[in-house]
Amino acid sequence: MEEDKIIKEFTSGEYKQGFITAIEQEYIPKGLNEDIIRMISARKQEPQWLLDFRLDAFRRWQKMPQPKWGHLKLPEIDFQDIIYYAAPKKDSERPKEIDPELEKTFEKLGIPINERKALAGVVAVDAVFDSVSVATTFRKSLAEKGIIFCSFSEAVREHGDLVRKYLASVVPAGDNFYAALNSAVFSDGSFCYIPKGVRCPMELSSYFRINAAGTGQFERTLIVADEDSYVSYMEGCTAPMRDEHQLHAAVVEIVVEKGADVKYSTVQNWYPGDAEGRGGILNLVTKRGICKGEGSHLSWTQVETGSAITWKYPSTILKGDDSSSEFYSVAVTNNFQQADTGTKMIHLGKRTRSRIVSKGISAGSSQNSYRGLVVMNPGADGARNFSQCDSLLIGSTCGAHTFPDIRSNNPTAIVEHEATTSKISDEQLFYCNQRGISPENAVALIVGGYAREVLAMLPMEFAVEARKLLQVSLEGSVG
Amino acid sequence: MSAKNHKLFILRPGDKFEPLNLVLGENYREEITFLVLPGVTAEIDLNAELSGAGAEVKIRGLFLCCSDEKVSIRTNIRHSVPSTSSSQLICGIAGGQSRASFAGRIVVVQDAQKTEAIQTNRNILLSDSARIETHPELEIYADDVQCSHGATIGRLSEEEQFYMRSRGIPEGEAKILQMISFLAPVLEGREDKEALMQQIEKSLRQMV
Repeated sequence: MEEDKIIKEFTSGEYKQGFITAIEQEYIPKGLNEDIIRMISARKQEPQWLLDFRLDAFRRWQKMPQPKWGHLKLPEIDFQDIIYYAAPKKDSERPKEIDPELEKTFEKLGIPINERKALAGVVAVDAVFDSVSVATTFRKSLAEKGIIFCSFSEAVREHGDLVRKYLASVVPAGDNFYAALNSAVFSDGSFCYIPKGVRCPMELSSYFRINAAGTGQFERTLIVADEDSYVSYMEGCTAPMRDEHQLHAAVVEIVVEKGADVKYSTVQNWYPGDAEGRGGILNLVTKRGICKGEGSHLSWTQVETGSAITWKYPSTILKGDDSSSEFYSVAVTNNFQQADTGTKMIHLGKRTRSRIVSKGISAGSSQNSYRGLVVMNPGADGARNFSQCDSLLIGSTCGAHTFPDIRSNNPTAIVEHEATTSKISDEQLFYCNQRGISPENAVALIVGGYAREVLAMLPMEFAVEARKLLQVSLEGSVG
Repeated sequence: MSAKNHKLFILRPGDKFEPLNLVLGENYREEITFLVLPGVTAEIDLNAELSGAGAEVKIRGLFLCCSDEKVSIRTNIRHSVPSTSSSQLICGIAGGQSRASFAGRIVVVQDAQKTEAIQTNRNILLSDSARIETHPELEIYADDVQCSHGATIGRLSEEEQFYMRSRGIPEGEAKILQMISFLAPVLEGREDKEALMQQIEKSLRQMV
């Protein structure tokens, strides 16, 4: 389709450019202790308060047990066997050429040739993205409106007060095991501030951000939308990401002030391990937003197809009266992938509304769980929640599970939850086959229809690619 | 041979509920109904394993809380062979400072194809200090199944009350009618429905 082509050119056009990364070869030994944290902080030339924050988080983390409640078989992680401040890979360590399997996937997703090498880890990211012109233009037009969008380290240097005010205000340092670990050792990430009344003129994406490369395994994102502002933020990439780090523990915090509107979309496609379930990324992420002021709005949209293990619950605290939040998710697991993902909606304010739409698709020998929490606090008069969780099973060896938790403490609040489990029926496949649609295309068609409600919520740039991604992820699951 | 068994439990103040563990063989059908009347603090623990083809379990329950009761209901249904079915319908009303919780679990093991499992839990909160929690869980390891669950927590609709009051039905009476219609599906299909509903109505009148 002509439209698809234009969209693709548009997105890849922006993607190509705008990266400048000053790479210094730095080396910090394996392991985790207070000295390592001091060393990380010193390398990053951080102020004392941030070092104190890290050390406090580390001390809390040491006292915490690793959570075991997920419906996951998590391998033992030796936290002392990890390099917490990773230097960029040396060229000699890189693979010489792209894995032919990966090459095929790139082909199907339509990733431009010069980007493939970087994504496969054959060359450093900055070797590909050398032009700075587009990024500078972006930065200029954003700066004119007073929007701050930069790397976390830069934000600490240039906008220390803002960072200090909002950091850990949504996800406290000792919130959970992985969030505490991230708070202690986070390497870098993004900071985004939209001033009062400003409508961000473009969709912000971590692609555009300068120095985005090599943020590593412990990414920290902080988005602050001041009163009556609007921003649409996109994170992730539809291309398969290979990474030398096995463990990813990121934290995303979003603060939505009175009347502001934040749309957060993410596509996650980390390396899921091979068809036998060896290797793959462990993605253990804490994402949370707070609708702080009256009438604020936060929407989460996620497409999860990668990682060997996904442990992620983007949540919203609905504090302001009349605030609202939505969670739209498609999670696909194949082969031996495991996903335990869902959301939390904590209703505090009056007439707060939330909506959850979760679509799980499991194939192969994978396990896919939805886990959700909806709480109506005593003050949440007239609050409303609706949750819809559907699971689609493809094949007889996979599993689909639903673990919602609903608590109501207010007689005027209404909560509704429903879940269904089904499979792609032989009749549906037969119908398609009869009309000349191959089994694989038929599955793609049916899954596309099943997930449409969520895909429709993605920004256009993501939506087109996400559809293809679903198809690629489910290859070989039927017939 | 198919066998069908009915069990009815009516819990009045002071009554205890002994945990029920059932194993249902081929074509065995079991129906369990429990009614928790006001003033009862109880734990209801129902476990059923469907281990023969054609086995079927039906659970129907309701609870009424109006002061400081604590009612917790736990159901655990395991479908361990193909072609079994289960259905659950549990409705509850909580007022006063009562605490009510429902934890319902359905497990469909691998290869237990053609399983049908339905679970519904509906709740109404009457007062500011009553609390309801619900955890419906589905754990499914087979693909050719039809499983669903639904849970709601809400209140008595004010529009319905307005409708009845504008036709001369006093508010208290309107609420009782609403609660009766909310609970009635639990006893649907029972021969002794009328008699049981009368008991429930009596309890509701004492509650309001």
